[in-house]
Amino acid sequence: MKTKQDFPAINERKPDGFRPDGAAYRVLIVDDSVFVAKQLSQILTSEGYDVVATSGDGQAGLDAYKELYPNLDLVTMDITMPKMDGITALEKIIEFDKNARVIMISALGKQDLVKKALVMGARNYIVKPLDRKKVLERVAQVLLK
Amino acid sequence: MRVEYINPFVEAAFNVLKEVLVNSDVRRGELYLKSASTPVLGVAAIVGLAGDVEGRVLFDMNRDTALAVASVMNGEQLATLDDLAKATITELANMITAQAVTKLHDLGFQFDLTPPAIFTGDNMEVSDQDVEALIVPMETPQGKIEINVAIRERA
Repeated sequence: MKTKQDFPAINERKPDGFRPDGAAYRVLIVDDSVFVAKQLSQILTSEGYDVVATSGDGQAGLDAYKELYPNLDLVTMDITMPKMDGITALEKIIEFDKNARVIMISALGKQDLVKKALVMGARNYIVKPLDRKKVLERVAQVLLK
Repeated sequence: MRVEYINPFVEAAFNVLKEVLVNSDVRRGELYLKSASTPVLGVAAIVGLAGDVEGRVLFDMNRDTALAVASVMNGEQLATLDDLAKATITELANMITAQAVTKLHDLGFQFDLTPPAIFTGDNMEVSDQDVEALIVPMETPQGKIEINVAIRERA
């Protein structure tokens, strides 16, 4: 169709949400705030990522990870959550799968916890408020490594 | 109450509101002091502080404002103050408090926070025994949000 030829550049960029083999990256969101979970899910889905599950606390997140493993590419992990916090959940996920790719989602002011998480094996972190560009950048970085 | 406790909250509220309401016109109103009971506007997120300083911070607004703010933050028009809308206001309180607390920690005050809780209802008021409440109204295109801070040093 003629219009396609007229507007090539912008839409030809491949969305980041797909693996080299063409399948969508599978993401697990662990966050106790339905608002943050929805926001993350919208941002990721819009770029082609497949949000396969959302868990509301660290324990549920850990259980979901074990259930979905190995068909999972990335976890976004909130830090402050009921039942089991994100740092403990991270520790247990890494214990279970040392190659797990986990990105911490943090409020400002939790630098110490973020550092701890990075030392423990988290691949990166994102500070709230979430910005679409920032989220997609960090996620793509982690998956390309 | 010392004004150095409230300034970080005002700055943080301003920064965060500016960011989540997508650069809209956020203005700080005149600060005022209340020592007796204060009426609550209809939707209030409360965060408790305990440590070197203790007390609480309320983020107070009417239902229409809460709904309008939650709608902007979600990028869609929300019709009712449902779980999503409440979680959104909670997250707003979280973001503002976290930023303010970072500043207070840098000033040398050490304390912990409670997770925010949301109160909704008509004709509510809040009373703080022995602690004055300082209130800073923030004017946004979505309506007025009052930052109501009652903090004191632990005796």
